Order: sequence, then C-alpha cells, then structure tokens
Amino acid sequence: MEVPAGFLVVYLLFSCFVASSYGVYFSSLNETLIVTATPTQGQVLKAGEDQISVTWRFNQTYRAGTDSAYKTVKVKLCYAPISQKDRSWRKTVDLLKKDKTCPHKIVARPYTASNNSFTWTIERDIPSGVYFVRAFAFNAQDEQVAYGQTTNAHKSTNLFEIQAITGRHMSLDIASICFSAFSIVALAGFFYMEKRKAKGSQEK
Amino acid sequence: MEVSQNSDRKFTLPVDSEHKATEFRLFSVATPHMRAFHLSWISFFSCFVSTFAAPPLLPIIRDNLNLTATDIGNAGIAAVSGAVFARVAMGTACDLFGPRLASSSLILLTAPAVFLSSIANSPAAFLMVRFFTGFSLATFVSTQFWMSSMFSPNVVGTANGLSGGWGNLGGGATQLIMPLVYSLIHTNIGSTKFTAWRIAFFIPALFQALSAYAIFFLGQDMPDGNYVRLEKSGEKHKDSFSQVFYHAITNYRGWILALTYGYCFGVELTIDNIIAQYFYDRFDVNLHTAGIIAASFGLANLFSRPGGGILSDLVGKRYGMRGRLWTLWVVQMIGGLLCLLLGKIGSLSGSVAVMLVFSVFVQAACGLTFGVVPFISRRSLGVISGMTGGGGNVGAVLTQVIFFRGSRYSTEEGISLMGVMIMCCTLLILLIYFPQWGGLFCGPRKGVTEEDYYLSEWTDAEKEQGFHKMSMKFSENSRRERGKKGASVPITSDKETPPTMV
Repeated sequence: MEVPAGFLVVYLLFSCFVASSYGVYFSSLNETLIVTATPTQGQVLKAGEDQISVTWRFNQTYRAGTDSAYKTVKVKLCYAPISQKDRSWRKTVDLLKKDKTCPHKIVARPYTASNNSFTWTIERDIPSGVYFVRAFAFNAQDEQVAYGQTTNAHKSTNLFEIQAITGRHMSLDIASICFSAFSIVALAGFFYMEKRKAKGSQEK
Repeated sequence: MEVSQNSDRKFTLPVDSEHKATEFRLFSVATPHMRAFHLSWISFFSCFVSTFAAPPLLPIIRDNLNLTATDIGNAGIAAVSGAVFARVAMGTACDLFGPRLASSSLILLTAPAVFLSSIANSPAAFLMVRFFTGFSLATFVSTQFWMSSMFSPNVVGTANGLSGGWGNLGGGATQLIMPLVYSLIHTNIGSTKFTAWRIAFFIPALFQALSAYAIFFLGQDMPDGNYVRLEKSGEKHKDSFSQVFYHAITNYRGWILALTYGYCFGVELTIDNIIAQYFYDRFDVNLHTAGIIAASFGLANLFSRPGGGILSDLVGKRYGMRGRLWTLWVVQMIGGLLCLLLGKIGSLSGSVAVMLVFSVFVQAACGLTFGVVPFISRRSLGVISGMTGGGGNVGAVLTQVIFFRGSRYSTEEGISLMGVMIMCCTLLILLIYFPQWGGLFCGPRKGVTEEDYYLSEWTDAEKEQGFHKMSMKFSENSRRERGKKGASVPITSDKETPPTMV
C-alpha cells in the first residue's frame, strides 16, 4: 500500500487530534436510586451457577418530579477498585462513554419508581474478581441522568467476589497432552530413521 | 534415491558450480531448491503464527486467567526472549546437523508448548507456554541458512528476503486467523468464551507440527543431498567452531547491526504483541476489528521486507556498500519518526494510516539490514546472522520491559517513546566502516582490498591448507560493493599476491 506518506499524514493530523469530549460525566449525576443486591460483604459466588437478586427504587427523600425524565434503568455488574488495579482496560473514567468500570449488563427495564427486582444467574463468561452492582437511569435520549449502587462512594463496602469458570475440560486436557507427547515421540523416531539411513549409506 | 556423479545430476533450475540455483522461480516447487524455499517460509510462518497466537485473544485470555497488565507484559517479553540465544544456537546447529534436521527438531520440540497453551490456568503457566513457544522463532536462522545453501549469490538476497518476509507475515496473519477461529468455535459450535480460545490454540499447534513433518520428509539440506550422507562421503569440510565463533564476536559491525536490528525487527515483534490490545482498548473496536487492524501491520511483510532487500541490492549496484548503509539509516530513521507519531494520534483512522506507513518502513529496514549482513564476515556468516537475528529479539525484550510492562506508561506513551529510542539507536549505523568500501561519512582506505578484509579471518596455517578458498571466491564477487564509481579502482594489495584459485 504505497501512499504519499507526507500528504496523508498531514491531512489526517488535522482530523485526528479531535478527541470528542462531550457526553455525560459521572460526577454530574446524583445518586437518586437505592440499589440493593443479595450478595453480602465478602461472599464468594460461582459464575454460571449462583444467582444475584437486585432490587432498585427511587429515593423518596429527593424532590418529587426529579425522576420525571427517567425512562429506562440499566443494571450493571461493576469492578471494585482492587480488580481494576494494574488493569487499564477496566479503568474508571469520569466521562461515562469512556468509562470501563461496569462492562457487564445484568438487566434493562423501563423505569418505575418502586417494586423493581430481578434475579440474575451469573453468566459463564464473567471473569474472576471483586464486584458491586450499579444501576443507571436513562432519559429518552439514552443518556445517563442518575444512578444508584450497592456500595459507598469510595467503593469500599459491601463488595462481593465472583469465581469464574476455568474453561478447561477433561477432553481438552487429554487431547493436549496426547498431541504433545506424540510430537516428542515423532521427533525421536526421526532421529532414529536418520541414523539408520546414515548407517545404510556407509555400508554401501 | 541414487545420486550418481555430480555432473550427471539433472536439476530443474539452472545451477552454478556449487549446484546452487541461479534463478528464483516463485511458483515452482522443483526439488530441491524451490521446494526448500517453500518448506522454509511455510514452517517459519507457522512458528510466527504460534508465537503470536495469544495477543489477538488477550482480551478473552486476560479475563480467564485473571492477568494484570504486568503479567501480560511479562508474558510478551518471555515470548521473544527465548529466541535470543536460540537463534545463535541455531546457527551452530545448522552447521553441525544441517538446516533440515535442525529446524524440524526445533519446531517439533516447541509444538508441545503450543498444545499445552490450551490448558494454561494461571499467569505463571501463561508465561511459561509463551516462553517456550517463542523458541520456535529461531527457525529464522535455519531459513536464511538453508536459502544461502540452495541459492547462488545473485538471487540469495531475493530468496532470503522473501523467506524472511513471508515468515514474518505469520505475525500478522495470526491476528486474523486466531479471532476468526475463535469466533467460529464460540459462535458456531457454541463453546463459552473461556473454552473457545483454548480449542482455538490447537489450530496453530497442528499447523506447526505438520510443517515439521513436511520438512523432514520432503526437504534436503544441500542441492546434492543431506549433511549426514555428504559428510560421511567426505564431500563437505567441517570448519572449527571456536574459530568461527571468535571471528564473529570480535567483529564490531556484527554487534552494531545486532543492536539496530533490535530496533527494526525487535520493534516489529513488540508491535505484534501489543497492537491488537491497543486498538481494542483505546478506540473501543471489537475483537474482530482489532485483529484486522493488527494483522495489516504484519501483512505488509508480504512486500515490504522483500522490498527492503531488493532496494538494498539496487542501491548497492549503483553506490556500493555506502549506498546500502545510507539507505538503511534513512529508512530506519523515518520508521522511528513514524512510530513517535503513531502514539500521538488520537483518532482511529489516523492511527491506522500512520501504522500502515510505519509498518512498511520498519519492515523494509529489516530487509535492508540483511542486505548488509552477508558482507560482514564470510567465514562466520552463520554466527553473524544468528547474532543479528538474536539482537532483533533483544530489542523486542528491551522495548517491552522499558515501555510496555505494568502501568508506568500508557500504551500510547510507550509507542512514542519507542519511536525516540529507535531513532537514537539507529545513529550507531554512522559508526560502521568497511576499510575496503568506506562508511556513511568516510570513503574507503587507499589500497585496501576485499581480500585483505575477508582473508584476515584465516591464519597462515589455515591458508596453507587451502581452507580459505571460499573467502577468496567471495572477495572477488563482493567487488561489486564498491559501486559503479569504485569499479575502476585497481585491485592489487600491498601484501603478497594470494595463491591462485583453481
């Protein structure tokens, strides 16, 4: 792919330093939802087997009418700081569309002020880690307008652990070991064959 | 298969007095020359596919094995560090056992590491499998050695550039192959994510093992046969390993090129390791797209590395060795500049465009490097090639340790800083000086000939026994490196005239 490098680079430089920085910031949201989940502090759950029950409702201490814009609620499973450490792909960023704290969706529901609950079987592709639950309220333009979470502002209380599946199966293990052993045996066979050929040509 | 007198042997391609092919026909599989070419590039390709099979699937693997950025960085370093010494050792193994046995043995010995990747269950296990799989990259040396045994000097550059470049292609192809295989297994067969990637690893493992079998059964070391038979019949003379090694490590040019190769090829390996994750994380593309983008970096090897080799030959014809050195310096400097730029760009399309241009320059620099390597030493060509190749991996280790391990620098900062380091290390090329041809800034020393340079590697006792004959032949052939201007310079030296050649 031969392109006039200089021209292309200069042209693209114009368009490329534009990083879009508009969008909703987490710090601008109020915690107007009260979210609770069944796992207790330090509880260990198994992916693919155990369940989490989440309930959420509007916090009535806020002025009535605050929730008039809320249309949908999305409940997410989020990483606690310990599981984000040295893992920049799970980083918390204030600009929500770049935020990677809560990648796992639990459920999405139309908004009602109370009587919301959902029981979720932890999916098999959830990785091992320490988690909490957060719910976002979205308006009609699908922008976040409020949130609620099961932990405190520092994300240090009420955290629970999930243990992932290994993904390994007995059949895989056996196949792996057999093929490896066969490679070594084949190699030994090659050397043996070479030796015999050499002896043969010497005797000629 | 009977082989009668050498002169009776019929080859499909035209050959020289050593029965090395003087023509290179890409679409032929004629025994033994073109068959050796296809066997060597395909097997080298498979080793690259296996060594870099993990990076495109890292977003899945890092969740399954609970890896941190430090773990991932360490595994990436381990993947390229094994081959540092393995490449030097491979040069020796080719001398002793021949490239056919040496390469098929190494490939079969490392295939278990790829199979066992499927059952890795922790960061430590992941590091171990990547470490042992990485040893297979030493097949680079056997590839170049085999091509030099099969092809005459006028086409050996093309053979080496194509086999090296098309092998490196594996580093790009794997970024496409692995996500594709993974999604076939995950979506179509329905395995969960954490099982699908494990099954996916069987594909490169089987490919690698099969290529080793192909080399063993279909290949041969030299145009006239295999080493074992040739040595027993006395046709091949064995050189002294300690002498060969000594003359390689005392030649400073070998060390300089080893370091600068670390900043073109080493950088290429580093990018193979980090680029898919970079696009996935920074630009929020999905796994499949990140793989395609990452693949296009390595896929440029299809033409860019061979192009570098061909460019070196073209420039060498007109301007000699000085032209080769200048071109290498300029191309690698531009590569460094583009790398610096790559880390600074914040848009997806800009990044992809700069990455593509960067890939062409950095891979061409690899091809240009090996346009100079064959002239550094004649006696110790194997070890010098191994040193340079090993140096490439050292560069990969260094850049990953300094810039891409843990969370000290963000990936984009690391890429830019790596560009700066490329430019600094490339400056060392300014120090390379051949007394018979000159360097970047200085012309050749008066009265010094090619014979003076190449025959200085042999002692008088060895010369008396006639061991230096191939260096004599090579000195004559390398007269071309004076370029068009220097061709008319007289070739008598101040020393006594060397014995005439038969």
